[in-house]
Amino acid sequence: MTAWEPGDEVDAGLSALRVHDALPERTERIRERCLARLAARRRPPRAGDEGAIRWRAWLEPAVALGLCVLYLAEAVTRALAVYH
Amino acid sequence: MEREIELRLVARLKAGDGAAFEAVYEAFRPRLFSFLVRLSHRRDVAEDLLEETWLRLVARAGDLTDETRLGPWLFTVARNLFASWCRHRSLDENRLSDLVPSWPGARPRESPFEAAARAELERRVETALARLPLADREVLLLVGVEGLTPAEAAAVCGISSVTLRARLHRARARLAAGMGTSRAELRAKAG
Repeated sequence: MTAWEPGDEVDAGLSALRVHDALPERTERIRERCLARLAARRRPPRAGDEGAIRWRAWLEPAVALGLCVLYLAEAVTRALAVYH
Repeated sequence: MEREIELRLVARLKAGDGAAFEAVYEAFRPRLFSFLVRLSHRRDVAEDLLEETWLRLVARAGDLTDETRLGPWLFTVARNLFASWCRHRSLDENRLSDLVPSWPGARPRESPFEAAARAELERRVETALARLPLADREVLLLVGVEGLTPAEAAAVCGISSVTLRARLHRARARLAAGMGTSRAELRAKAG
């Protein structure tokens, strides 16, 4: 079976299809947004950003762990109160 | 796009080069938009999906492999975004409103006779394409219009090459039949 047989009317029709484009203001907006994001990616992180990233790296798990401990302690306390 | 140029553009894109992005954007934007508008039949949807496709490229540029083929990569993202949009909106695939041929498009100068003949052919193809099931339409657009190889188009659609070839064969037959129907309709209208 041949997947593509060039030279027939289907091919001629497909190659006659126009190439369309988005509206100019939309294409410009997309370009600007993408270039802004690329520029943001290229920008090296500031010293303050790095410090914040380091803090968050251990602070978030520590807070989550603390909340878990408090919740478990409360649950155990209530369970013991019911038991007694 | 020549492969060497494409490889260089991929490397520069990975480094966040804005000029490389501009080159890729200019080369693929109209093709992607045409693909999306023929899938969705709606300019507003095609523009939204187009924007999201380019934003994805920028967001993932750093993760591209050195050998990435930009065309298949972009068409895969565009197609997947369209599929998500269909799922989200429960789109009726057979909508025929807002057909593409009514929109102006860039064309080289041609004689009135050539223009009329081309417009008639184009209208028949657009009408027949719009009536095809989505799965048939997308393989025809990817291989017949965008020039992707069957293997690349299969990767874009997430199917095997064998399945794609079968689907392409069926789609061509349906398009040819549809074009015949469209011609009969046009003649009936003219007569």
